[in-house]
Amino acid sequence: MPVVSLPYNYLERLCGTDRKTIIDHLPMIGSDIERILEDQVDVEFFPSRVDLYSTEGVARAMRGFLELETGEEVYPVSPSSITFSVDENLKEVRPYIGSAVIRDIQLDNEAIISLMGVQEALHWVVGRGRAKVAIGVHDLDKVTPPFRYYGAPVSRSFIPLDYDREMTLTEIMEEHPKGRDYSHIVKDKPVMPLIEDANGNVLSFPPIINGELTRVTESSKNLLLDVTGTDERAVMTALKVLCTTLITAGGRCESVTVNGVVMPDLSPTLRNIDVTSCNKLLGTSFSADEIATILKKMRYGAEKTGDTTVSVRIPCYRADIMHEWDVYEDVAIGAGFGTLEAELPATFATGCEHPIIALASAVRDICSGLGYLEVMPFTLSNEEVMYTRMQREPDPKALHVLHPISEEQTLVRTDLLPLLLDLLRMNKRRELPQRIFHTGDVVSSMQTYQKLALASTHPGADFSEAYATTDALMRELGISYIPAESADPAFIPGRAVDIMVDGKKMGVFGEIHPGVLNQFDIDQPVIGIEIDLHLLFPGQKETKS
Amino acid sequence: MQLTLNEKRLLLELVKTETTTPEEMGIILDRPADSVVQYGGLLSQKGLATVDRSVTTTLSLTTEGEQYLAEGVPERQLYNSFEESASIADLNRHPHAKIGLGWMKRLGWVKIEAGNVIKTGDAAPSPIEIALKNPDAAPADIRKDLLKRGLVTEEESVRYTITITDEGKKLAAAGITLTEETGTLTADQISSGAWRDLSLRRYDITKHPRPVWPGKIHPYQRMIDEMRRILLDMGFTELHGSIIQGAFWNFDALFQPQDHPAREMQDTFHLAGKQELPVGWEKVRDMHESGGDTSSTGWGGKWDPEKAKATVLRTHTTSLSIQHLAAHPEPPVKAFCIGRVYRREAIDPTHLPEFEQLEGIVMDTHVNFRNLLGYLKEFYGRMGFESVRFRPGYFPYTEPSVEPEVYIEGLGWVELGGAGIFREEVTAPWGITCPVLAWGLGVSRVAMLRMGLTDLRELYQSDIDWVRNMPVVQGGRC
Repeated sequence: MPVVSLPYNYLERLCGTDRKTIIDHLPMIGSDIERILEDQVDVEFFPSRVDLYSTEGVARAMRGFLELETGEEVYPVSPSSITFSVDENLKEVRPYIGSAVIRDIQLDNEAIISLMGVQEALHWVVGRGRAKVAIGVHDLDKVTPPFRYYGAPVSRSFIPLDYDREMTLTEIMEEHPKGRDYSHIVKDKPVMPLIEDANGNVLSFPPIINGELTRVTESSKNLLLDVTGTDERAVMTALKVLCTTLITAGGRCESVTVNGVVMPDLSPTLRNIDVTSCNKLLGTSFSADEIATILKKMRYGAEKTGDTTVSVRIPCYRADIMHEWDVYEDVAIGAGFGTLEAELPATFATGCEHPIIALASAVRDICSGLGYLEVMPFTLSNEEVMYTRMQREPDPKALHVLHPISEEQTLVRTDLLPLLLDLLRMNKRRELPQRIFHTGDVVSSMQTYQKLALASTHPGADFSEAYATTDALMRELGISYIPAESADPAFIPGRAVDIMVDGKKMGVFGEIHPGVLNQFDIDQPVIGIEIDLHLLFPGQKETKS
Repeated sequence: MQLTLNEKRLLLELVKTETTTPEEMGIILDRPADSVVQYGGLLSQKGLATVDRSVTTTLSLTTEGEQYLAEGVPERQLYNSFEESASIADLNRHPHAKIGLGWMKRLGWVKIEAGNVIKTGDAAPSPIEIALKNPDAAPADIRKDLLKRGLVTEEESVRYTITITDEGKKLAAAGITLTEETGTLTADQISSGAWRDLSLRRYDITKHPRPVWPGKIHPYQRMIDEMRRILLDMGFTELHGSIIQGAFWNFDALFQPQDHPAREMQDTFHLAGKQELPVGWEKVRDMHESGGDTSSTGWGGKWDPEKAKATVLRTHTTSLSIQHLAAHPEPPVKAFCIGRVYRREAIDPTHLPEFEQLEGIVMDTHVNFRNLLGYLKEFYGRMGFESVRFRPGYFPYTEPSVEPEVYIEGLGWVELGGAGIFREEVTAPWGITCPVLAWGLGVSRVAMLRMGLTDLRELYQSDIDWVRNMPVVQGGRC
């Protein structure tokens, strides 16, 4: 989630109240306070609330929540003659552009920082790292309308932001820091998106970098916004959030005509809220008037239109309101979660253990009764531990993860015994004897099922102990078995047994091969037992994935 | 006065020698010296003897010290490497030039004139060389030098002397009978009644026993079992299922937009192979694209069935909850699951690529948001978190959403888990018409708080001593 820095002075000025009151109430409008610093507070807002990614947006919400100013903010848009044309050749590249003009704005340093912050957050959350949406803010007075958004060849050149020389689009993609970060979005396209003015001056090479020409400074008065992208709804969301933020910062919005369409549309969306269903979901008994009052605190426009209906105007920046329940949630937040009394309902149901987990519990009782200590190793492992050190052939049924994050976790375990040996290695300096066990999920051929493994190490650990322990285990599990000579290379030949049940191999036990012990860097004899538990569920077979 | 047989034997010997060492007496009594110290201690508690403990320090050579003893100290080796004189430049090529030169000069073996090192003729063994042969005999300042040069290490040895007191002599003079004492009773002694005539040895209760480590269930599993018990007590049915899931159930059915970054290879473990979409998948598609038959707008755009067929390691147990609901769309449903989930994160003390998650769901005709708060309060209360408060939260598949916080002494309010009512976009495709309350919780996070862990790895790569020393019952809770 993006972290927004809110400078106290600017925040206090916009909110009209002191920092302590604001900080106290921030978590209750839906945010996590990351850190409180001397001159600013860093706050993490939910990804759904893109309208809160600026000091201006937070101030707007906070003024409502504290009832300093309730109801909707109105965002007038006056017409302008500025136009944008969009070329057909961008259709398969980056077809959508939104634009608006902000006039007579005075941007001090804090407002510029806030503007850059909201831009970054929108790039990240709505823009999916600029792939879906990218934003450019320009000093309008440096360029001449009409503007043109078109697909340019990579040989086109201009001076990008933070540079003092002309560079071709190829050079920018290869050399400019932003080019290296974002060129992957467009570099394979036949043409590059470019915005130019009437005189062929380049404003921007979206989604990568603006031109140095239109850099926004504290002396910029009139701004041109461009929002380009691959998803029209997301482009318009970002444009609306930007425009409303800049209006709150003191600017005046003028429209831009893009291929004949006048934008931005900053008018609210209408919804009728049913009081009964809102109360039913929340477990409350608010009247229509009360709901309207609460929603105004949340900066909606709201009027009671009947005993059980409230007509709601949803501000254009609230892209997160997709469903009526989203409004209901704001009723709960506006009322204050603290005012909603927790209450248990009378839903009758009896508890029921899952048979697989119940079996695992019984297995734990048996093993701890045998003097074994439970361990809980990871389920992700690697070939080295699972097979190489065990002197076993890699299991072709093992499930490999496609993009492992480290060499330690490349596959899902197929066996448990190797993980016990690895734990004995980690604990080799601890007092002997050590007897450990684990029961849990393994995966083979995409099926999840359960196994049990035990290991015991001390100077006298031998085949007889392994046999006696296995025999006790099988007796307690209620399974009769037949021992068969095992060829498992993880064990010493002649000191290993396959546990056969109804003619099927259900497990193995014996003395671990000294070659295996060497590979695990274990110095004392170890006995190991491993048993498949899914055969205990004859009717149920393996859990389907 | 009650004396054990061994105390009596020691006392009688002390009458003869007055003073003794445990080693001497051990031979006479045929007991280990340690035991004699213990008998002496028991006698001294009764005022019959005194035990003096004296600590002496002995020096022993380090590997380097041994080497110098065999090959000569660096200054001696350097001294022997040239005839009457040599230039400093030449000497500097010797491996021991650095330490050797300084020491030779300090010891008066050589003098330096005009860049040449000239032997003075007097190169008698230095105190250090003498001391190396018998470090314990060396004077204090030389011992210091040996230690400083890392040629010896100090070892402490403890010596005891046991001396009889006047009271001890008096008691012995009064006469002591030595009857054989019995340790472990035999079956025969018990059944025959012979035990009546035996003197049963008294044990020293101040001596700590050797620790015995019982087999037991892992502390983390015990905490998981406690949570299971609470939920079973509250009438929930337990779910269990595959750790491998299709992206459809893990993300799409939970209204996670298809371009959400959490779905990418960066954050989620992807596996080879495709999972077939279940019957009714089209309704999920409609929900994403346009909100289906609900009041929702949906996410817009095109929903790609191929993306939903990807195979992943489950990132939450919610994928099991929604499958359970889809299979049981009629109220009431109360179910929970505690299971391992996977996130593609690098291992560090507070992040692991796999950990346990707990999840509970309640579906019924009349349940509401306040009931959700009620369940949370009840569950956390039973877990021992008395104070619970709620603040707004955000999860893609719930609305309204809430983040519960619990109060922990010393830490303040700590966020613990997330909850909400499943969005209609999640429930409607499966014909579920009642609200579904849902909450989830990172189980390992609770373990960290409960057990005071600073490193989550301790749970999965446990130090056996940690498990051995973690009591089953803690502060009355088990």
